[in-house]
Amino acid sequence: MRTRARPALAVATLALALLALTALLARDPDGPAALVRHAYLLPVAGAALGFGVLGGTLAAGAAVLLMAPVVLSEIERAGLTTEAIEGLVSLGVLALLGTLVGAATTRARRELARSEALVAVRRAVAGAATLEGALGRLRAALARRLDADVALVARDGARALVAGGARVVPGSAVARVLATGRPLFVPAAGGGPRPRRAFVTPLVAEAAVIGALAVEREGGLGGGERAALEALGAHVGVALENARLAARQRRFADELAAKVASATARLEEIDRAKSAFVAIASHELRTPLTALQGFSELLALRRLPPAEVARFGRIMHGEARRLGRIVSDLLDLSRREQGLVPALQRTAVDVAALVADIVEVLRRAAPAHPIEVDCAPGLPPLDADPDALERILTNLVGNAVKYSPPGSLVSVRARRSGAGVALVVEDRGRGIPAAALARVFEPYYRAPDAAPAARGAGIGLAVVKALVEAHGGTIRLESTPGVGTRATVTLPAVP
Amino acid sequence: MWALEQPCPERPPPLLADTPAALLAALAGAALGAAALVAGGWLPGAALAVAGVAAGHGALLATALAWALGGRTLPGVGLVALLALAALAARSHPLGLLAYAGPPLVVARLAARGRLAALGLGGGVPLRGVAAGAALGALLGGHLLVSASLTLGVAVGARPAGELLGALAYDAGANVLAAECFFRGALFARAQRRWPAAGAAALSTGAYVLRYLVDPLLPKSVELVVGAAFYLTLLGAANCWLLRRSGSLLPGLASALVFFAAWRLCDAP
Repeated sequence: MRTRARPALAVATLALALLALTALLARDPDGPAALVRHAYLLPVAGAALGFGVLGGTLAAGAAVLLMAPVVLSEIERAGLTTEAIEGLVSLGVLALLGTLVGAATTRARRELARSEALVAVRRAVAGAATLEGALGRLRAALARRLDADVALVARDGARALVAGGARVVPGSAVARVLATGRPLFVPAAGGGPRPRRAFVTPLVAEAAVIGALAVEREGGLGGGERAALEALGAHVGVALENARLAARQRRFADELAAKVASATARLEEIDRAKSAFVAIASHELRTPLTALQGFSELLALRRLPPAEVARFGRIMHGEARRLGRIVSDLLDLSRREQGLVPALQRTAVDVAALVADIVEVLRRAAPAHPIEVDCAPGLPPLDADPDALERILTNLVGNAVKYSPPGSLVSVRARRSGAGVALVVEDRGRGIPAAALARVFEPYYRAPDAAPAARGAGIGLAVVKALVEAHGGTIRLESTPGVGTRATVTLPAVP
Repeated sequence: MWALEQPCPERPPPLLADTPAALLAALAGAALGAAALVAGGWLPGAALAVAGVAAGHGALLATALAWALGGRTLPGVGLVALLALAALAARSHPLGLLAYAGPPLVVARLAARGRLAALGLGGGVPLRGVAAGAALGALLGGHLLVSASLTLGVAVGARPAGELLGALAYDAGANVLAAECFFRGALFARAQRRWPAAGAAALSTGAYVLRYLVDPLLPKSVELVVGAAFYLTLLGAANCWLLRRSGSLLPGLASALVFFAAWRLCDAP
C-alpha cells in the first residue's frame, strides 16, 4: 500500500507545483520572461530523477503545455519580442532537461539493475548443492529482479534441466534458440488484448550453448533491455557451468567418501573375520594334531596288540589326511587371494565311482545321516583334477551333513548337462537366509545364524568356488530357510 | 510458459491481413459517385455529407471489425448502412440524432458476445482507466479551450445548442467510435504485436492525425491545422498509452469523447 501511495503522492505534488507556478507566471507582469519561469525546472528535474525518462518527458510536456499559452499569447499580442524569445527558450530548455535528465536517470538505473542482477546471479548460484537447486534459485532471483516470467534451461550431459516449466516443446522459442544458438525476440507471445513480449537468449559457456534464458512480460522489453539480457545470459551461462562443475565435484566427493567408508567397513569386517578365522583355524589344526600327538605317544610308550596298533594307525592316517586337506584349503585360498588359479592335474575322472567312494567315506563318518546317491547311467568322464574334485564333493556333502539335523536325508545326484556333468548335493537342513546366501562364497564368511555346533573356518565354499572355476565350471546355490539347500556344480566332461 | 511450451511461429501474419478490400473499394466508389451526382446537380449537397459519413467512418469501422473477426465483412456492411441511416436521419429531423446511437449499440452487442476482444472491447469496464481517460481528455480539452481563446482568437461556447448536440452525437456515434476502433483497437494493437510500442504508437498516431488533416470538414487555416495536429498527436499518443496500459479501448473512447466535446465548444472565427 505504502509503495503504491508514494508515487501517487509525488505525482500529485508535482502537478500541484506546476499548476501553482503557472498561476504565478500568468499573474506576473513580466509575462513569459518572468523569473518564476525558471522554477519550472525544479518539478521537471524532480520528475526526471524520480521516474526516469517517462516521468521526465511527461513532466516536461506538462510544463510546456502549461507555460505555452502564456508564451504564445505574448507572441500573438506583440510578436517575437525579447520576452517571448526568452519564454520560447525556456520551453525548449524544459523539454530538453526533462527528456535528457530522465534518460540519464533511466540509464543509470538500468546499469544499477544490471549490476544488482549479476550479484543476484552469483548469490543464487553460490551454495546450491545441485544444478537443479542452482537453476531454481537463479530463476526465482531473476524473476524478482526483472519483474517478469523467467524460465531457465540447462543441459547437463544428455539431460535438459528446466526451471519455470515442465519441458521444452519441440518448435518452441526456447527449442529454436537451443538449436541455433542465437537470441530470439517475439513481440507478441500468445493471444490476449495486451501483447506479451518474449525474449530468449542462449546461455554460453566455453563457446558452447549450455542452455537458454527465457523472459516474458506484458509491456516493454526494449532493445536496451534485450542487449542487457544477452549479456546477463553470458554471465548466467558461466555461473551455471561453474555450478554444474561444483555440483559434479561435490557428487564425486560424496561418492568417494561413501566408497571409502564402505571399503573401510569391509576391511574392518575382513579383519574381524580373519581374526575369527585364525582362532577357528587354530582349533581346526589343533584337533588332528592333538589326535596325532596322543596316538603317536601311545604307540611310542606302550606295547599294544597288533590289531590296536593297526586301528591307531588308521586313525592317525585319517587325521593326517584331514590335516592335509585343511592345509591344502589354506594354500588354495592364499593363491586365490593373490589372484592365482589353483594348480590342477587334470585327467579323465569317472564321476560315478568317485561319488560312490566319497559318499562311502562320509557315511562311515556320519552314520546318523542317510545319504542317497543317484548317478545317471552312461555319464561321460569329467575332465578334472581327481584330488580337487574329491575336495569339492567332500566339502559340499560335508556341509550338507553338518548343517542338517541327524536322520534327515542328504542326496547326491549326477546328471548330464550340455557338454558336462551337473553334480547336485541337496539337504533338508535349516537353509541359508537370502542375505547370507549372496556372501557364502566369500572367504572367512560364516552366516550369522550358522549352527553353533557346526564349526568351520569359513573358507570351504570359497575354496570350492575357486576350484570349480579353475575347471571352467560353475556353481550355484539355492536355499529356502526351513526347507533345505541345493548346491549345483557343473563341470566340463572330457571332450 | 509460452516460450517453453508453445510452438513459435516463423513470422507474424501481414499487418493488413483480413482487410475488406472489396468493401473499401465499393465505399470509395459510392463516395465518388455521390460527389459526381452532387456536382452534376442530380443530388442535393446533403447527400454528399451522408455518403461521406457512411464511407469515411464506415470504412474505418468495417476494417476494424473485419480485422477483429478474422476477415468477416458482414457486420461491417451493417454498420456502414447504420451510419448512412444515422447521417440521413440527423439531417432530416432534430430527433434523428438519436439514430447515431445505432452504431455504438451494435458494437457494444458484438463486444458483449466477446467477438471484439481483439479490439480491446468486451473484457469488462475498467472504471479507473475510464476515469483516467476522461481526466486526460478534460486536461487536453481544457488546454485547448484556454490556448485557443488566448492565442487563436477562437470564440468558446458560441455555437448554437442544437448544432453542438448534433456534433456531439456525430462524435459519439461515428467520429470517435470509428477512429478509436480503427486507429487504436485495430492498427495500434496489431502494430505493437510486430514492433516496439513506441513505433506502433507513432504509426497509429501519424495515421490518426493524417486522417483529420485530410478531413474536408477541418478549416484550412494554418493556425487551426497546426493546433489540430498538435492536440490530435497528444490525444492519439495518450490513447495508445491508455490502451496499452489498461488493455481496454474504453479509456481511449472516454478521453476522445471528452476532448472532442471541448473541440466542439470552439467556434472558429
